[in-house]
Amino acid sequence: MAEQKTELRGGNDGWAGERGDFANLSEADVRGESYVGVRPLEGRAAGGACSYPYQLAEKHPDAPLFEGPYHERLEKIRSRYPDAQGALLPVLNLAQEIHGWLSQADMDRVAEELGLSPVYVRGVATFYTMYNKAPVGTWLVQVCTNVCCNLCGADEVMKAFLEHTGTEPGETTADGAFTCIEAECLGACGFPTVVQVNERYFENVTPDDVPAILERLRREAPKQER
Amino acid sequence: MAYPFKHERETRVLTEAFGDPAARTIEGWKKYGGYEALRQALGMSPNDVIEVVKASGLRGRGGAGFPTGVKWSFMPKDDSRQPHYLLINADESEPGAFKDRELLRWTPHQVIEGALIGAHAIRAKHVYIYMRGEFFEPAQIVGRAIEEAYEAGIAGADMMGSGIGIDITLHIGAGAYICGEETGLMNSLEGRRGQPRIKPPFPAVMGAFSRPTTINNVETVSAVPHILRRGPEWYKSMGTEKSPGTKLFNVSGHVVRRGNYELPLGFPLKDLIYDVCGGIRDGRELKAVIPGGSSVPILAAKECDIALDYESVAAAGSMLGTASVIVMDDRTDIIRAVRRMVEFYSHESCGQCTPCREGTEWTAKIMRRIEAGEGTVEDLDTLLDVGRNMTGTTICVLSDSCAAPVASSIAKFRDEYMARMRREAPIDALTV
Repeated sequence: MAEQKTELRGGNDGWAGERGDFANLSEADVRGESYVGVRPLEGRAAGGACSYPYQLAEKHPDAPLFEGPYHERLEKIRSRYPDAQGALLPVLNLAQEIHGWLSQADMDRVAEELGLSPVYVRGVATFYTMYNKAPVGTWLVQVCTNVCCNLCGADEVMKAFLEHTGTEPGETTADGAFTCIEAECLGACGFPTVVQVNERYFENVTPDDVPAILERLRREAPKQER
Repeated sequence: MAYPFKHERETRVLTEAFGDPAARTIEGWKKYGGYEALRQALGMSPNDVIEVVKASGLRGRGGAGFPTGVKWSFMPKDDSRQPHYLLINADESEPGAFKDRELLRWTPHQVIEGALIGAHAIRAKHVYIYMRGEFFEPAQIVGRAIEEAYEAGIAGADMMGSGIGIDITLHIGAGAYICGEETGLMNSLEGRRGQPRIKPPFPAVMGAFSRPTTINNVETVSAVPHILRRGPEWYKSMGTEKSPGTKLFNVSGHVVRRGNYELPLGFPLKDLIYDVCGGIRDGRELKAVIPGGSSVPILAAKECDIALDYESVAAAGSMLGTASVIVMDDRTDIIRAVRRMVEFYSHESCGQCTPCREGTEWTAKIMRRIEAGEGTVEDLDTLLDVGRNMTGTTICVLSDSCAAPVASSIAKFRDEYMARMRREAPIDALTV
């Protein structure tokens, strides 16, 4: 872990973001102290089968949906609901986890798998904001600008992300690395400004932290098949 | 001092294990007395468990404050004809609220234990924890804890050798505030658009998958193991007569130490701000407080000499809600803060009911105009009129929640609105 700044910001001492230096914090620091950092156990019970992140840097846009290990996950998910429709959200999550976004073909495939009509699945998928209806960058940067973060300067953080990536909200950078959007409350109001980058929260972010966060993400980006 | 901070005036019951990553495992959780209460509950009849929780006076922590034991007693006593479900509402998305996330990530087994006890009490054979989609980190922690509980024979068939079997499944959502409303949550769990349903039928009669269902908040079920283990009398010894027990107060905004603090209900708001949270940042003055998340009316500084329990906050004209205290200092632009909240409701309206779909949108438009200094005095009357038509006229209370901060801010900070009409106040005064 990088050398800690001696001057702590804001009073939430000990919390990852307060140490600044987002470029070099360890994963555990970003996740909060002693993040267990593990996927669910591969239990036969499948009670945790729906707990996988579905907004990842690594995307496989050309991979066939629901084959091999993904098919096993799908079956586990289905086993947890009294009817096929109940499994719709978790299965859409799984599709987005694999492809990185939900195309109409993906939604149709999910409909076929669950025995639902394609138009019904599309109607449900478009209700929810976390389903990407178009491809997004390797890193989807979501800045919370709702009231608690806003009181502490979230609009400035959003501005900094747009400036440093040279994009408009929702636009992806030419290299495909970043898409920055405003988000509604992310449920971590005590640590403003909260920025969700894919499956990870960066907390207590100030405009000055933005270049370091972007630098870190560029370094971490997986080699993409785009 | 390491996060999460502690304060000497706290009563740490639910938050005792916060900061100890070992408590995320079964072994670690057992060191805090974990799963003793479940063993005890499995040896009791469902009705006896309900009676204990009723006697403790525990009230729902999701916002409404309805007595939990009473809610459980609405469930049919016969489960032989159709299965019952318990849903745990972990869709925390009220602006200002960040308590459930901490409970889920530090004490997943506490939530699971409470949920299993609740399921036994209402004769449910399946628990769904509905967690909001953004909570990927808590989801992995809870998912792992669930699998661990199955492997240890705590969940699933024949729990702890009792012959009772209850399944537990984590379900993660996909980003919609309205899924935190109980009937919206049920629709979303069933794989529908998360639009709230008309009540009746109430969930206890016809809920998830058209079966009798109870929905409890994460914090509510987290308190249940402690009540079983230490007795309802002990629980009632904390807090006030009508609001017993402890509550997580999640404080955000312009205080020195933001965070979650577990305090007995009835704790003075001023002490919370000035003592526990270390006062207002940069030595500023207090301007306003939203005591229960963005959906409740704003209190001006002079109204803040109150105790934080359901009755006292209601008497002051607001609501305790999720006890998510948003503190604003004297530099805060109230109009901008309210406008931002209204934009949120406008974005999150599910679009079912006309007063909400249209009302939130028009309120946002008018608030934007006022913030830009282009409002007229008539706009205030229009806002109040629109707000009245949005209150009590829709299936759920999202629309009421949008109208509340607008009406209360106009009532309490009318001068500020009037000054903005005349373009005297700086438009960009909010950022600190």
